[in-house]
Amino acid sequence: MTRLNLVLLVAVLGSAFYLVHLQYESRRLYVALDRAKSHSERLAADHEQLVVQKRAEATPARVQQLATRQLQMRAAHPGITEYVALPASAGADGAVAGAVQTLKGPLSAGGRP
Amino acid sequence: MSRSIAYSSSPLLTSATPVWRSKFIVAALALAFVGLAGRAAYVQVFGNEFFQRQGEVRFARTLELPPNRGRVLDRNGLILATSVVAQSIWAIPQDVDLNEPKLAQAAKLLDMPLAELKRRLNTEKTFVWVKRQVDEPLALQLKALDIKGLYLRKEYKRQYPEGEAAAHVVGFTNVEDVGQEGVELAFNQQLSGKSGSRRVIKDRLGRVIEDVREAIPPVDGHDIQLSIDSKIQFFAYQKLREAVAEHKALGGSAVVLDAHTGEVLALANYPSYNPNQRRNLSGEQLRNRALTDSFEPGSTMKPFIAALALDKGLVRPDTPIQTAPGRLQMGGFTISDVHAYNVLTVNEVIQKSSNVGTVKMAMQLQPRDMWEAYAQAGFGQKPHLPFPGAVSGRLRAYKTWKPIEQATMSYGYGLSTSLFQLAQAYTVFARDGHMVPVTLLKTDQPVQGVRVFSEKNAMAVRRMLEMAAGPGGTGQRAQTVGYSVGGKSGTARKQEGKGYAARKYRSFFVGLAPVEAPRIVVAVMVDEPSNGVIYGGAVAAPVFSETVQQTLRLMGVQPDTNVKPHIVADVVEESV
Repeated sequence: MTRLNLVLLVAVLGSAFYLVHLQYESRRLYVALDRAKSHSERLAADHEQLVVQKRAEATPARVQQLATRQLQMRAAHPGITEYVALPASAGADGAVAGAVQTLKGPLSAGGRP
Repeated sequence: MSRSIAYSSSPLLTSATPVWRSKFIVAALALAFVGLAGRAAYVQVFGNEFFQRQGEVRFARTLELPPNRGRVLDRNGLILATSVVAQSIWAIPQDVDLNEPKLAQAAKLLDMPLAELKRRLNTEKTFVWVKRQVDEPLALQLKALDIKGLYLRKEYKRQYPEGEAAAHVVGFTNVEDVGQEGVELAFNQQLSGKSGSRRVIKDRLGRVIEDVREAIPPVDGHDIQLSIDSKIQFFAYQKLREAVAEHKALGGSAVVLDAHTGEVLALANYPSYNPNQRRNLSGEQLRNRALTDSFEPGSTMKPFIAALALDKGLVRPDTPIQTAPGRLQMGGFTISDVHAYNVLTVNEVIQKSSNVGTVKMAMQLQPRDMWEAYAQAGFGQKPHLPFPGAVSGRLRAYKTWKPIEQATMSYGYGLSTSLFQLAQAYTVFARDGHMVPVTLLKTDQPVQGVRVFSEKNAMAVRRMLEMAAGPGGTGQRAQTVGYSVGGKSGTARKQEGKGYAARKYRSFFVGLAPVEAPRIVVAVMVDEPSNGVIYGGAVAAPVFSETVQQTLRLMGVQPDTNVKPHIVADVVEESV
């Protein structure tokens, strides 16, 4: 009888300590999860900020200013534009595949010993 | 020598103790345990709810989860407005030590005088904002100073990368993230989301350790995709700004509409403002002139009279009209032309912008027909645009018209319209007689219009507009390389009080391109040019020309006129 009681006591104590441990562990993990979440939020916010910065760096106003001042470019107009008509078959898959093959040809030939 | 007594032989122990004493102790202890058990039962069973609540009050916190305000995008998905995280600094003034030496550093970081910072903190209130929406790095530096009583709060700040070019369309929000102007105001409901909340338990270090209940996630605002093309918008704004500077004008507006879909591709105004820095803004800068300013449209109304006269079968494009001697007496008023012409055909009346010729056509029309045509073209009615402050212009009921008023209205005096309405009205000619509803939101569907003029007559008027913008017309400077254009210039004297100002004009030009199959309608207005040139054909038409060319090029429309190439194609071939 005493032995059974002892076993039960040990079991109760074990389970109690385990419960405390689990509770602690769960809170620890929860804090870590929460921290990771807020980190991810901060990264998302940073991302948004960078996207806006990138966009602000590429506004038409800035692009035009840089193109004209630094690269000495000027706006295109039909007078200096050559309109190239695509041959009828150019858009088809066959033509594209053909072009790729002609590119491949010399390369693979050169690769062989 | 001191007397020592062994513990075991202490006389105190040998004396017999009464039994009741030990019983009393045991009973007292038992009672204490019963008391504890009773208390435990009370805390855990009977009063459980109360204690749970009290515990929660001390450790549980409700965190607000702010929603993201939706972005405003242009037709190609480029950002026109978006929210980024910004920290706001607040304080509990009682907790701040005003003699704290670090306050000086904080004031420096916040870019405000130390005295001002102290003034803000020296108050009886329990909460004050120190500075709102500062940049993240700055906020982190401030946090590092670790001043007692100063706290950070995460907020969102609106950013407008396109700056002043699109300021009037996009508008802005206030510090509370509520739209104040433009699209931000008009679509505030869709853009703003609903905040969520989270009930959590925090430990003594302020870390969240448990959720009390399921979190309610915030509902983010919807993105709004506008029909505006930021490149076209920029070009229109840039050209407008140059024209206003060149002609020393007060301001100006430009509107670009897609004739197929009724989408607004650009809506620019000058002077403008930078929505990211809104200090000391004046009404002049804030006004979306294209929508809120109404003016007498002048000669730009003449094509409507021609179209109506054609529709009613009163004239044909080549019907001659006597305009000599360039003056017409009517009820004590004299209507005159800038240049006196002889006999002009209807085509030429529009091309040369003859007031006399137009009045002669108009006086054959019934006032009711004229009113209906004007009203169907959108004059006197607010454009169906969810925009704050859009005006309807003024078009009086035809029953009250006197003959002289009917006459002046035919060449654009005695009624008023906004530039936007004028642009919209010209879609009638661009769409073969259909009036198209305009939209500020991107759409792919072709729209259904309302017929105002017959297809044949709308095309005939388009031909007249082409002539007006061609050799011998009033708007020759509207010509642009590669594309055929048609349009009508207008110059109207500005009203001041009850009469007209002596030397104050508004110059405008409305037109379409390419003439054969119009894709766009462009309207330009320059307010009070004062550098010697006042005519719409000279002031506004060049802006029209450049805007048309850039817009059509960006839209990928092939040139429809023969262009003398400036490039030598052979050179390229030789170098291969």
